[in-house]
Amino acid sequence: MKTIAFKTLGCRLNQYETDALASKFQNNAYKLVNFDEEADVYVINSCTVTHQSDHKSRNFINQANKRNKDSVLVVTGCMANNAKEELENKDEINYVLENDNKSALYSLVEAHFNGEVKHPSQLNNDLFAYGSTEKGFHTRSMIKIQDGCDNFCTFCIIPSVRGRAKSRPFEAILDNVRSVITNGAKEVVITGVNIGRYEYENYKFDDLIEAILNLDGDFRLRISSLEPDGFGDKFLGLLSHPKMTPHLHLCLQSGSDEVLLRMRRMYTIKTFKNTVEKVRVIRPDFNFTTDIIIGFPGESETDFTDSCDMIQNMEFGHVHTFKYSIRKGTRAERMADQIPEKLKTERSEVLRGIAEESKLKYRSQFVGKTQRVLVENINGNVAKGYGEHYIPVQFEAENIKTNTFYDILVTDINNEKDVVLIGKPA
Amino acid sequence: MNSHKVISLRNLTPSTYIIRLEKKDFTFKTGQYITLGFSGSIDRREYSIYSAEQDPYIEVLIKEVEDGLLSKKLKKCKPGDELDIDGAFGHFSLKTDEIKNKKFMFISTGTGISPIHSFIHTHPEMDYTLLHGIRHKEEAYEKESYDSNRYVLCTSGENTGDFNGRVTEYLLKNPVSPDTICYLCGNCHMIYEAYDILEKQGIKLGPIHTEVYF
Repeated sequence: MKTIAFKTLGCRLNQYETDALASKFQNNAYKLVNFDEEADVYVINSCTVTHQSDHKSRNFINQANKRNKDSVLVVTGCMANNAKEELENKDEINYVLENDNKSALYSLVEAHFNGEVKHPSQLNNDLFAYGSTEKGFHTRSMIKIQDGCDNFCTFCIIPSVRGRAKSRPFEAILDNVRSVITNGAKEVVITGVNIGRYEYENYKFDDLIEAILNLDGDFRLRISSLEPDGFGDKFLGLLSHPKMTPHLHLCLQSGSDEVLLRMRRMYTIKTFKNTVEKVRVIRPDFNFTTDIIIGFPGESETDFTDSCDMIQNMEFGHVHTFKYSIRKGTRAERMADQIPEKLKTERSEVLRGIAEESKLKYRSQFVGKTQRVLVENINGNVAKGYGEHYIPVQFEAENIKTNTFYDILVTDINNEKDVVLIGKPA
Repeated sequence: MNSHKVISLRNLTPSTYIIRLEKKDFTFKTGQYITLGFSGSIDRREYSIYSAEQDPYIEVLIKEVEDGLLSKKLKKCKPGDELDIDGAFGHFSLKTDEIKNKKFMFISTGTGISPIHSFIHTHPEMDYTLLHGIRHKEEAYEKESYDSNRYVLCTSGENTGDFNGRVTEYLLKNPVSPDTICYLCGNCHMIYEAYDILEKQGIKLGPIHTEVYF
């Protein structure tokens, strides 16, 4: 039996695509092994959103090659699009597979073992031609609804590497959700590059979410990352649906209106705050998580302070902070007033400190309350999973099963590595 | 990405010009932009479309940038040269249901008038006021193509326009009624200031649309 190992970097869409690809290989008699083990095939599903992600991808390429020089090494994902030539010139890489052809990974590898070499034009280029994800790395079942982005934020390379926005047919998505629920999925996660811009025939994003929520079955729905400009009041109303989880990752990027304008973001601080407030009026403990870019060109001390204030005021449950890094070909590459790396690092440390405090404060409110936890990992009698608010919860019990809901009374909070809620069956 | 032949180039000022390209089957929504570059070259720049949706050609308004990579080269284009167009991109567009029954305020500075020109020439029946902020009157690009009763030229460098000062100063002195839909296109600083003024004048957040020029 041949062995295959995956390493996935970056966004949830990449994670979904890896899950689907890994399932496909396992359904065809491949054994999935850890990336740090020897394998016949290594797949690096790369990311290029920051300089650091490129660096990590290069590192994993070297690691895979060292582990087994005779393996088939495939690099796919956004770095494969953005640095195709560089990667193709590396002898240790067998195939550089662009995002458009990613779903054809299995046929490419199979052809390789049959002594054929497939030209990209012979490969499937359907962005939605991924199979099921039941043998992937995640308990939650991710559903891809769209790909690509037309927003062209000035810092972002994604439109160049993922292409124009394209939405998956409405009925195909509903069929996919029905199928994963029938196969036992308890939590469905909607993924894509810019999902709020979903548009297929007359269906918009909120129509799709409404239709999914109205499907039968014991499941809950989670929206992954959402841009603050892509939805209206109808969607906000759907957040009160009993199957909808009270969590949104709403990408803020900066707390300064001037910086948001230069980033070509299509919202203001006031509209962002309005959205958060509207939702929290109905559900005060709603979990908003976000992304912040630190050191965007021209970011002044005042702009940075505005970002810090926003983190404190919005009480985010989690903040991903990224130091801005120049992406070739973006508008921000040509902007004056690039911020020195040292200053970006200093600001990063300050902001991360504030974000950690905010996270602890937000999560502490759940002590004494009950979370419905979907168990993902079990070690002896200790189970780990996520509650409906997308906060990690750990508890002890006997005869626990994965992919099962447990009502857990939160009794304590552990702040050692991440802020984890500790509880017991309610 | 598709290759389009240059039809003509017309100079508006010593540093500003319009390139007209063949349209072929290219479609766009007025207000959108394209990226433009020489065929086969990786260097590309974004330009809002200046022409109307129904025009049988595509036009872009370009200002030559000092040390600019592309704007200087594009100025040397000759009819028949091939340029690659990618797009159209962007969400700076009019809402179909508002075009016929709403009042519009278009606020632009410099070459930020480009998508506004496209709006107005695509929908000449619109009820609009256009503020164009520039320093000197020579930058009033093709002002004769707008209805003079709806066009307010704000000149900040000399007293040669309809109003002597910046567009933001004009807005402070001439408040906009709260039922107006506002579109702002130009430099970041103008948009930031104008946004604030319009909000204070009672315009709700939804009806303010912005497109930044750098």
